[in-house]
Amino acid sequence: MSSSIIHRFFFPSLNKTFFLRLVLVGLTCFLLFGYILIPLRIQGHSMEPTYQNGSFAFCWRPQYLFSQIERFDVVTVRFTGRSVMLLKRIIGLPGETVEFRQGNLYVNGKQIDEPYVHHHSDWNLAPRIIAPEHVYVVGDNRGTAMSRHRFGQVRIDRIVGGVLL
Amino acid sequence: MSNRNWLIFLAILLVAGGTLFFLPSDEKKIRRNLASLADYCSSPKKDAPIETLKKAALAARLCNNPCKVSIESFHIDRQFTTKDISDHILMMKKQLTNTRFNFHDTVIDLPDKERAEIITTLRLEGKTKDNRFTDAYEINITAKKLEGDWLFSSFTVVEFIEQ
Repeated sequence: MSSSIIHRFFFPSLNKTFFLRLVLVGLTCFLLFGYILIPLRIQGHSMEPTYQNGSFAFCWRPQYLFSQIERFDVVTVRFTGRSVMLLKRIIGLPGETVEFRQGNLYVNGKQIDEPYVHHHSDWNLAPRIIAPEHVYVVGDNRGTAMSRHRFGQVRIDRIVGGVLL
Repeated sequence: MSNRNWLIFLAILLVAGGTLFFLPSDEKKIRRNLASLADYCSSPKKDAPIETLKKAALAARLCNNPCKVSIESFHIDRQFTTKDISDHILMMKKQLTNTRFNFHDTVIDLPDKERAEIITTLRLEGKTKDNRFTDAYEINITAKKLEGDWLFSSFTVVEFIEQ
């Protein structure tokens, strides 16, 4: 019985039902991995140690369909499309004031603990107010010089989704 | 419909589809020029000096003379002549050996027959002395059709992330 199932699995009869299933599976994969759960290959060190260079994750696009963006969410930020995206963590929400003093994050003048940061930095950034419809994003790896790290405020509509894994 | 009619119908469909697919359109020409630009700017291996000079000259030839370049974060906003572009590409190739340029998610808008607005993502992948690096930029490009050829007339780096 079980050998017959295995045989049928590896050597299916090429009938109409088989091709219909094949088309359905292909279509489902195309929609799921092309538009909803986008596979990400992480390149770069800006999110270490949370996400290592060369590792894999998924961008979960429906994350913000029914929930609000929150501080410390890891998100993908798009350029012109979804082939190349930035992976960053949200540290400031619209209307808040963010600053760095000796590598410590301050939001609205209060120091915020960042447990995900392992490489302590000496970053100093004067206070700045986040514009409406924008969020402030930074990578977790603060071991690099501030001038070499891409961070700042981005429009919320540039956020493609959250990150799974 | 008989089998013969079906075959004729399919043949017509194939010929029409093939013609549409292989017919050179303005959009295809622009995409081809972008791919060439990426190829000429790349230095995947250590090219011979003459090859590097040739590629820089070919890349510059894809641009209008003059061509405007705007990169706010580097305080660059001026017109570059073909020679300027060729010299800058040479300088860049010298600094970024073993680097690959690629354009992704390119959207081409043709507001009229002689002008195209392009938005694209430039991705750099390479190796410096110490380690590997990747970088990406969103770029707005304008192209103009001059004597049948599409030439890039302006490049603007979009700074969508602001410290």
